[in-house]
Amino acid sequence: MKNILSVFVLMLFSVNLAQAGGPWPQPKGKGYFKLSEWWVVFDQHYTDSGKLDPNATTGVFNTSFYGEYGFTNRLTGIINAPLFSRNYMNNIRSNTTQEIIVQGEAINSIGDIDLGLKFGLTKRDAAVPISVSVLLGIPTGKKVGGTLNNLQTGDGEFNQFVKIDAGSGFSIGKTSAYISGYLGLNNRSKEFSEELRLGAEFGVGLMDKKLWLVSKLDVSESFKNGANAETITSTSLFANNSEFASLTLEANFYVAKRLGFSASVASAFRGEIIAAAPSFSIGVFYDMNK
Amino acid sequence: MKNLTYIFSLLSFFLFFACIGDDFIEDQVEAEIRIDANVESIEVNTDYQFEYTYLNEVGQSQQVEVVWSSSNEEVMTIDENGLAQAITIGEVRIMVSYDNGTIVLSDQIDLMIGSTTIIVEKQTFKGNIQTTSSYVLEGSFELKEEDQGLSLSFEEDYKASTALPGLFIYLSNNRNSIANAFEIGAVEVFNGQHNYTIENVEFNDYKFIVYFCKPFNVKVGDGSLEE
Repeated sequence: MKNILSVFVLMLFSVNLAQAGGPWPQPKGKGYFKLSEWWVVFDQHYTDSGKLDPNATTGVFNTSFYGEYGFTNRLTGIINAPLFSRNYMNNIRSNTTQEIIVQGEAINSIGDIDLGLKFGLTKRDAAVPISVSVLLGIPTGKKVGGTLNNLQTGDGEFNQFVKIDAGSGFSIGKTSAYISGYLGLNNRSKEFSEELRLGAEFGVGLMDKKLWLVSKLDVSESFKNGANAETITSTSLFANNSEFASLTLEANFYVAKRLGFSASVASAFRGEIIAAAPSFSIGVFYDMNK
Repeated sequence: MKNLTYIFSLLSFFLFFACIGDDFIEDQVEAEIRIDANVESIEVNTDYQFEYTYLNEVGQSQQVEVVWSSSNEEVMTIDENGLAQAITIGEVRIMVSYDNGTIVLSDQIDLMIGSTTIIVEKQTFKGNIQTTSSYVLEGSFELKEEDQGLSLSFEEDYKASTALPGLFIYLSNNRNSIANAFEIGAVEVFNGQHNYTIENVEFNDYKFIVYFCKPFNVKVGDGSLEE
């Protein structure tokens, strides 16, 4: 019980599970790969009642490799690997004496890796392609760190995220566009609550499809069937029963035929036990489909 | 290769933003001095050592140069170290003061010099905790002197949020800070009556109960210890 600790950025690690978006599997032998830096720095969070409360300034920085590769025309392998993850908290200082009251700390390690498969239930060129995905969250990150055990680069639990995606590509005049949505269940171990995940995505291709602007809505609702501070029986617990609804705006720009840069900003507009600050990401991708 | 160098340079640049900075908390309180004596009466022709506690502008206990004085040196004398001598039977007021450069702080205690020394009965503080955050925290409590230390008991009306893990309870002299506070322990009861036994702490050592969330490094609630 004495080690019941939490860092409410947990959900921010798990958000990556939704990255394998869209119902379109990679064609056989083709792939999409991305190296990116994702970060969030926040000094307030959504409480269990959805209100905003302050907290010590906390930062999470992930340098990640993300890849999708088509084993067949319908079966795609997915990996999301935070190769370097850093979590820090600021010093807490007296404004009167300037002395440090609580020493700030940081930890660095690999983060939690997600491995998965996406299977196309329909052909890629179907009017409304549909796919199912299974993503496994591997607890390769550090679940506790720092002298107060309040830092983490992973949540310390295996989870299985199963989802179904559907979508459609279309044109708006001469502009290519697509829309997609997903519905999934995130089954979590170690006394964490299960989660219902759903989301929608809309993208348009501009400048002869060199620039893709994407907006995403992601929602995670906790079943609140796991442990809380009163009922936990394991020796370690991170934030549980977290919920959020977030919006993401993303731009992907091809600087060469297959090579491009991406940038995004995401922020939760509703949440419970989750950071209340925008997260940012920049990256470079290689798209073998071009 | 040039592109890769550029990419890694860019990623490395962002890591520089990941440095530990400073968050400041407003922890200034009014400095105070108090006499620590649990006697009502002192036996004539005996000595008594008075002690004081000085709490500075952040509620931190400090040793300072104080001035002791007696209202009637024919009844009781006191030296610069707080050592008093009960001379004759009567009433006396013992005072301590300290000039911190800004203000002169003082405290006093009224005593009887009589045939026996009378120690004050075991004391009790009462109070209510209240949330200073959006998390539920409420209830009444009592801090009592016991033979084996102090007993902090919470009543049936106590309630704390279970959504906030890593909640700890402290005794502090600054309701906004846990610097120099005494950590009682992790909160394990979130509803109803319960009790903490506190050892190695004197009854008058602290003025507040503070609830602090360690993982978030933030105060959740507090309560004043009131007579």
